[in-house]
Amino acid sequence: MTLTADTPAADAATPSGPAIYFDGTCSVRNDVVVEAGAAGLRIFSAKNRRLLDEWLYAELRRQAAPDGVLRLGRHGETLLARLEIRDTALASAIEDRAVTLDRGGVAERRLRRKVVILSLAAVVSLIFTAVIGVPVLATRLAPLVPIAFEQKLGSAVDSQIRATLDTKHLGAGFVCDAGANGAAGRAALDKLVGRLKAAAALPYPVRVDVVRRPDFNAFALPGGHIYAFQGLIDRAQSPDEVAGVLAHEMGHVAHRDGTRTVLQAAGLSFLFGMMLGDFVGGGGVVIAAKTVVRSSYSRRVEAAADVYSVGVMQKAGGDPRALATILARVTADKDEGIKILADHPDTKDRVIAIDALAPAGASTPLLGAADWAALKQICAPSPAGATTAPAGATTAAASGTPSASAAGSAYGKDPSSGATAGSK
Amino acid sequence: MTTAEAVSSPVAAAGAVRFLGNEGAYWRLRIKGAALVVVTLGIYRFWLATDVRRYLWSNTEISGDTLEYNGLATELLIGFLFAIAILVPLYMVFALVALELDMVAVTPALIGFALLLLLGEYALYRARRYRLTRTVFRGLRFDQHGSPWRYALYALVCWGIVIVTLGLAYPWTSAFIERFKMRNTSYGDLHGRFAGRGLALFWRGLPIWLLVVGVPIFAIGGMARLIDWNMLGNELAASQGGDDSMNTLIQNNPQLAMAIGIVISAFSASVLVAIVLYPVFQAVKLRWWISGLRFGAVAVTSQLRIRQVYRVYLRLLLYLFLLGLLASVMGGMTVAVVLGIVGLAHNATLTQVTIGAISLLLYVVFMIGSSTIYQVIVAAGLWRLGAQTAALSGEAALDGVRATGTASSALGEGLADALGVGSI
Repeated sequence: MTLTADTPAADAATPSGPAIYFDGTCSVRNDVVVEAGAAGLRIFSAKNRRLLDEWLYAELRRQAAPDGVLRLGRHGETLLARLEIRDTALASAIEDRAVTLDRGGVAERRLRRKVVILSLAAVVSLIFTAVIGVPVLATRLAPLVPIAFEQKLGSAVDSQIRATLDTKHLGAGFVCDAGANGAAGRAALDKLVGRLKAAAALPYPVRVDVVRRPDFNAFALPGGHIYAFQGLIDRAQSPDEVAGVLAHEMGHVAHRDGTRTVLQAAGLSFLFGMMLGDFVGGGGVVIAAKTVVRSSYSRRVEAAADVYSVGVMQKAGGDPRALATILARVTADKDEGIKILADHPDTKDRVIAIDALAPAGASTPLLGAADWAALKQICAPSPAGATTAPAGATTAAASGTPSASAAGSAYGKDPSSGATAGSK
Repeated sequence: MTTAEAVSSPVAAAGAVRFLGNEGAYWRLRIKGAALVVVTLGIYRFWLATDVRRYLWSNTEISGDTLEYNGLATELLIGFLFAIAILVPLYMVFALVALELDMVAVTPALIGFALLLLLGEYALYRARRYRLTRTVFRGLRFDQHGSPWRYALYALVCWGIVIVTLGLAYPWTSAFIERFKMRNTSYGDLHGRFAGRGLALFWRGLPIWLLVVGVPIFAIGGMARLIDWNMLGNELAASQGGDDSMNTLIQNNPQLAMAIGIVISAFSASVLVAIVLYPVFQAVKLRWWISGLRFGAVAVTSQLRIRQVYRVYLRLLLYLFLLGLLASVMGGMTVAVVLGIVGLAHNATLTQVTIGAISLLLYVVFMIGSSTIYQVIVAAGLWRLGAQTAALSGEAALDGVRATGTASSALGEGLADALGVGSI
């Protein structure tokens, strides 16, 4: 595109200087003289003063270059023609005339600042979503998950959990229902659970198993499989205490807590894992964030299950305060310590809440004396049996798989890190 | 040499390759960028990556002209979003399929791992294309052809072979992969090749392999001969795998103890040697790779010395040590001061939360700090070293190249970022 003369002007008003020009079709380096005219740059070959090209100021764009070099390109061209100017006077003159070159990088800095501010806003919004939005969404979505799917999820997790908890590799012997004692205990357990189920009217079948672990713990998997530990049976002093704990677990089942936790964990993983990027040290932040959100969420869930337990125990005719009684007794044995990120509200708070909700009063135990005795012996070795219950303190299990801990709504701490209170 | 001096003689010795950049400027770029990345929880990383590439490319001078990176941060951001749009449904589908097929833990995890590896290699190849097409030299862009899926398959198979041969096949698989990549790389109409031979790398790397991998293998072989396997097998069967079995086994078989001791010391020595020889491996590999690059008649040679690479890594250790020292001192002082203040409130929860927050902060600072140090001293350091010790021959061919090719999308970059693979 020609403008005025085809040869370089000689007057001093038009700044000019040497430069290097690449025309974008061939890699030859051309030494040129550049003239900063009124409307644009005129590029003349240094050898024969022929006009090679003209670039309007409006089309000029600054390209990345080493310090001291002004590298210009043309906007809107498919060819990557380049003009490299090392002459500082000429460069300065061109920057004066071409606004698009953004002298000093002011426009670029402004843009970056906008980016950072928007990002900060996004971070705030993200945290808000994670802390409030995700649990709400999980609660709304959990009832929509079909029960069949939840049972499938539960059975998928079940084998993982078994593998983690069954540290002595007892296999089928891990569940206490074999042999004379086991069978009798099983019958008593079924009676107890039956009375609770009648009062609860759960949306889908529930199955309770007592397993050989000395910890005081019980948890429910999605799909309705409830595990109670031997330690729970051992420490209970009345059938209502066991029933209270089981009713609490049924509360988790009724509220679809397992599914909710999985949905919530998935949502948090997505937000903090994927959306956030890959920056070094980010892993620690992600874990910290997930832990904090999860534990605050868990407290609400556990409190709701406590309320459910009180309701069911009342309907079944048992002592609704039994749950509080056993909780208080068990934690009095242990040194409570500071549980900031405990997955449960402080047990004292729970005991107070349960007692406030449940009316004190007489009630008949949910199991007769004979059945209670049988249940107490559920994990005892049968006279002719081969399995032995592990006595004495055992080390806490290794940390469970993430999906296992997400899916099981633990009664005690996370099921795979059950607390030990020394030997019985 | 300062950038001004370097630039004032634009036509350096023909065929020379130089790095013009000033390390101080790069430190500032990296530190500021790292701070912004943390504050924006990773969103700023696209801008940082673009700045880094502009710095490295613009300061790499080949035969008197510098490279140019003309990619935009917004392209990277869009590529990332695109990749998320692909990956999220993919992850969900995968989880659902695994659930439906009732598989637990191991099988889907392995398949998933292999698929992710494949996807990662696919992303790497496409990301390489993105970077090449955004690299401009003398007004012409680089380009890359070839099917990314084929590359991914090749890469996966090669990794399998390397693992199976305990690393012996690495020189040949490397040569194969580099040949594939370079044969599909072009500068304008100048086609790339890779002339490095696997055998050459093998000879150079053999001493390292013998010391790092050979010694443990030898030790294991020796151990196998020292032990009476039959007796050991019988004893294992008899002891029934109780907790004490290991101790009794060792008591009964002193040779077993010695053999285990030999193997452990062999592995420890191997790890130590691997650490010490790592710079040698890097130097050998880098020099072999650079001197194998060909573009048409242009050949690259490398004068890289192992001791230069050692200097880089020793600097790294020094800086990391200093960072660690600084972090501990500052961290210790901060913790003491803050705890003193917070302790006045006598609130256990607040104290614990504060300690948690400070620890997290220290962790993030140390991680970001070490990553930045690594990037400036090693990544950019090796880039600079590689450039300064490289030279071209047949560079006259650089003058007659014609333009071809178009820019490619940033999807590969996005995928690589989302999957956590990728480098500069």
